[in-house]
Amino acid sequence: MNSFRVFDLLLRFRTLISFVLVVAVWQFVASLGLVPEKYFPGIPAIASGFWAMLKSGELFNAEWRTLTRALVGLAGASALGIGLAILSDISPTFRRGFAPVAALIQPIPPAALVPMAVFMLGLGPKLYTFIIILVTVWPPYFNGVAALASVSDVQIRSGQMLGLSRWEILWRIKLPAAMPEIFAGVRYASTISLLAVVVAEMLAGHDGLGFLLIRKAFAIRIPEVYTLMFVCALNGVVMNAMVNALRWQMTGWHIRMTGQPA
Amino acid sequence: MDVVLNAQGLTKTYGSGKDAVQVLGGISFAVTRGEFVSVVGPSGCGKTTLLFAIAGLHSVTSGTVTFNGKPVTAPPKGVAVVFQDYSRSLFPWKNNRDNVVFGMARLAGLSSAQKKDKAQEMLEAVGLTGFADKYPWQLSGGMQQRVAIARGLASQSELLLLDEPLAAVDAQTRADMQDLLLDLAIRFKQTCVLVTHDVEEAVYMADRVVVLTRRPTTVDHEIIIELGKKRDQISTREDPRFLSARHDVMTSIRNFRAAAPAHAA
Repeated sequence: MNSFRVFDLLLRFRTLISFVLVVAVWQFVASLGLVPEKYFPGIPAIASGFWAMLKSGELFNAEWRTLTRALVGLAGASALGIGLAILSDISPTFRRGFAPVAALIQPIPPAALVPMAVFMLGLGPKLYTFIIILVTVWPPYFNGVAALASVSDVQIRSGQMLGLSRWEILWRIKLPAAMPEIFAGVRYASTISLLAVVVAEMLAGHDGLGFLLIRKAFAIRIPEVYTLMFVCALNGVVMNAMVNALRWQMTGWHIRMTGQPA
Repeated sequence: MDVVLNAQGLTKTYGSGKDAVQVLGGISFAVTRGEFVSVVGPSGCGKTTLLFAIAGLHSVTSGTVTFNGKPVTAPPKGVAVVFQDYSRSLFPWKNNRDNVVFGMARLAGLSSAQKKDKAQEMLEAVGLTGFADKYPWQLSGGMQQRVAIARGLASQSELLLLDEPLAAVDAQTRADMQDLLLDLAIRFKQTCVLVTHDVEEAVYMADRVVVLTRRPTTVDHEIIIELGKKRDQISTREDPRFLSARHDVMTSIRNFRAAAPAHAA
């Protein structure tokens, strides 16, 4: 086996390898005893916390709800972001009018939105959808605006020479050309949507990972708190894999062209 | 004579007031069916502006363009453009076959299978047999420009407008592509207008050369190149008629450049 094959294997299992590394470092730090074991348990204690929550079914239930919310929120936010980007591309007036609105809403932390959302929408799925979309819409929107504006004028003229209408040029030339950059925004948004949903569950939820985490923290079930933190981290991997699969499906040409599968 | 394209008194001014820049100063010329016409001029004389006006992509300030007798106000059916910047004119998300199929957007009554067959045929005509399933970015510059030419031909146009199509390819590829374009023009009965800054190329390719002045640009004069349709990279370029036409055009362009204010050079 030559060094290239070894490198290839390392690359293939890189997610697993990073996970093992994190776990090893964690266990090493825990065994140093710098923090009392009660507050910084080792991997075996966390694993048994994981097992207990898995057996009781509460982990699966929370995970399912959180992941579904994050996915639905991401899909909605991406659709809205791309829609607004298209609108901005068609109408410069809209784009200029919308810019200050975006600049005002964008810096609001998801946690600060929760009280308003509770007053407006109550405690339910609408609350999550609202918060996730409001914080997740921006990367697809801004990337979409930039990408649609930078489509090659030669490509657009090629379409015009064939008598394509404005809509056909948008649909058949500008959107496919902009898709790779839009996807870069969607990937970034997928992380934000996970953050937003857990924060919303922590502050106003009655189920989901965020809610469970707060409940376990108040009950001082420390290994379980850490378990849930690890699960949140793994959700990032799951979400990224799903977005990546869609990205290969829709913009595989670009990944092969640039030779950068990430 | 069967006039395909007729440009009369084309002017184009960008901007207004004291910032106004007049690029085209009243250009008139006509192209008859089956003719290969080269348009050359000094750098910055607005060749691309002129080509886009003819193609219906840009409006003119005054003057008229007619294609087959009808005024051109938008890109007309039957006119195709091969752009200089092939790498940005092809669609990287489509393979070469589908890029050529895209050129048939205006052809009614062809099934998608027929279009694919026809695209295959066009790719063969430009010497790209076996590259249909590849993507443009997997090909060299010269090959990409061949795909763009195949796409132009696939639209079944009568008039092919060539905007310095060979400016970005290397010298050897360029010679091959010149001969390919000449062959294709005859085989597919294309009337061609080539816009270029390369005098040798203009004379080598054309039945007639239209020489432009500097800005505001008008037609200085036209030369008929009496070398027949059959051209050869070595013997044509040594022919006294080629050399005298080249001398004539180069002299005009040098004079315009010498007379031009420094900032326009």
